[in-house]
Amino acid sequence: MATSTAHYAEAAAVEAARGRGEPDWLINARAEAARAFAATSMPAPSLRPWKYTDVTALDIEAFAPDAAFAPRMTGTAPAGGFAGTLAAGLATHSEVVREYLGAVVQGTEGKFTAANAAQWREGVLVYAPRGKAFDAPVTVHVDGREGAIFPRILIVAEAASEVSIILRTSSTAAALLVAGVIEVVAQADSRVRLLVDTRWGAATQEFTTLRAKIGRGADVQVGTIALGGLIVKHTVEALMEGEGSTSRIRGVAVGDKEQHFDFVTLQELIGPKSTSEVEIKTALAGASRSIYYGLTRVETTALGASANQENRNLLLSPRAKADADPVLEILTNEVIRCGHGATVGPLDKDALFYLQSRGLDMRQSLTLLVTGFFQSVLSGLDAPGLVEELETALREKLATAELT
Amino acid sequence: MTQPILEVRDLKVSITEKPDIQIVKGIDLTIRPGEIHALMGPNGSGKSTLASTIAGSPTYKVDSGSILFRGEDVTAATADARARMGIFLSFQYPTPIPGVTMVNLMRESLKARRGAEVPAREFLAELRATLAKLKMSEDMARRYVNDGFSGGEKKRAEILQMGLLKPDLAILDETDSGLDVDALRTVSEGVNALRTSDMGVLIITHYERILNYIEPDFVHILVGGRIVTSGGFDLAKRVEHEGYDPILKELGIASAETPVAEGAAR
Ligand SMILES: Nc1ncnc2c1ncn2[C@@H]1O[C@H](COP(=O)(O)OP(=O)(O)OP(=O)(O)O)[C@@H](O)[C@H]1O
Ligand SMILES: [Mg+2]
Repeated sequence: MATSTAHYAEAAAVEAARGRGEPDWLINARAEAARAFAATSMPAPSLRPWKYTDVTALDIEAFAPDAAFAPRMTGTAPAGGFAGTLAAGLATHSEVVREYLGAVVQGTEGKFTAANAAQWREGVLVYAPRGKAFDAPVTVHVDGREGAIFPRILIVAEAASEVSIILRTSSTAAALLVAGVIEVVAQADSRVRLLVDTRWGAATQEFTTLRAKIGRGADVQVGTIALGGLIVKHTVEALMEGEGSTSRIRGVAVGDKEQHFDFVTLQELIGPKSTSEVEIKTALAGASRSIYYGLTRVETTALGASANQENRNLLLSPRAKADADPVLEILTNEVIRCGHGATVGPLDKDALFYLQSRGLDMRQSLTLLVTGFFQSVLSGLDAPGLVEELETALREKLATAELT
Repeated sequence: MTQPILEVRDLKVSITEKPDIQIVKGIDLTIRPGEIHALMGPNGSGKSTLASTIAGSPTYKVDSGSILFRGEDVTAATADARARMGIFLSFQYPTPIPGVTMVNLMRESLKARRGAEVPAREFLAELRATLAKLKMSEDMARRYVNDGFSGGEKKRAEILQMGLLKPDLAILDETDSGLDVDALRTVSEGVNALRTSDMGVLIITHYERILNYIEPDFVHILVGGRIVTSGGFDLAKRVEHEGYDPILKELGIASAETPVAEGAAR
């Protein structure tokens, strides 16, 4: 598709950026990213995070960027702060954008991140200035149609600030490619919460990288609930740079039919006494599958650090499949605790019989067991109304999920 | 005569995954409305297997014979269908279900049993009344099902569910084991308070204690997958004082120690 290919060329990216009136530094960054995109091949399955999600046959250039794409947002920033599109933020908070955009996730790192850096439009900037807290969560709704979209979100939380973001994603049944980048800068003693409600249409393929740089005493929590999409690959990385920094990465996915979920996590413990927890749980029906690859790396500087990785997968149908690959790299002896656990298995037969002996039919019993299984994640997400809505969506999905 | 609540006819049961191992080897048992039956027998004799089979556990397979509930053949019915009809099993080892609260389960199961929504207010009122009858606190209802419960708490939680679901047939599989003296009295009095004249009760136990509170009309002794003798309350007392051997000797059966899982015996 020659017409699509043209969009990804350096000249086209630069021209589009000029047309949007972007500053020179950003146009240069776009050009660099477009060159990196052209020069970089698709990640091969020989790379561990890509072992079970083979994208070598995926042609990004066959998906024309949706020029009209724009996220919808609600939320009010505290005085001096910002919650709006990156495009608008470039005008009002240019120093913040210039300092941090592309500083956490570089546009030259890989095929998908390069595509994003060269092609993102509108984007989202959430900026919490020093000592300030947002009153209510900022909500960002990414609603895709067809072709390709490149959601770009920059979250900057200055020292001792607080912000919570709810990202909802949806799309139509048309083929859609999503290459997202979420950058989080959490400075000393800040608190950042991000809840991602993934409900893409049945033909959407998403590849998103989220990376957080977490400063001294700062706390970052990321929760994902993935119900929709054909392929959903989320790479979530916590760089625990500051002393006493903490992070929690949690995810829940319910798969059915041909759905394919791939969670990659990195917990890089650098600061002394930093702490990081990962908990990913999936329930898989139909011929769906889930992949988990998690790396915990404890650097020599991370004295007294602790980290944990947990991945639990329930197979609800004999055709479903899950692969778990948790890895620890510990470079110091001075860790408090560093653990990982992974399980793949069917529902507990005794628990099923117990519930059935109370009058619940097979489907009701299974639904109750699965929602119970997810409780450890769901109960920890502080978004009361949304969690209930998600539980309802989850039950609805299980009500028709393929069990054979 | 009134129609029996439960009729078990020449029931033979094996393990679904090991069909050559037959555990229950021909049992007949009839329980009429208002009757209390006690089932005793050495460890491994097949008591829980019989109980689970009556409740419809897929772990066990009925080789032959039948189970009738209020005259209806339920041998092939699913466990949940039987429960909705009014069969309740209080488990010997209740299964923990992390993440699911007792309240949540009880609300769902009451809805299933009644075949209609139960308004929240009505449910709460019934729950509170049942908790009070069993001298139980509301905290229990907010906890995850059997998760981290002590042995005694598990048994109380089973009876709480029985109280809410108001079954026509209650099978209490060693509900007395794990209960302290006071809890045993409370739970037994609770069962008596929850009983109605049309209900049938099957109490599986190793001890006379619970039967002093819930006095049985019949006592059956199960050995090696067969009911070898039946009698009144006296039989339970005799077991308690003498053990099984003298009774078996009188019947001309070698010993209670005879292993049950001896392979295909059809
Ligand atoms: N699922 C199973 N798999 C293998 N063996 C089983 C299974 N269920 C029961 N059995 C065997 O069947 C026999 C009867 O077990 P059951 O639990 O019915 O005994 P019980 O009379 O209830 O004993 P207890 O008094 O110890 O509770 C035992 O030998 C037991 O090991
Ligand atoms: Mg038993």
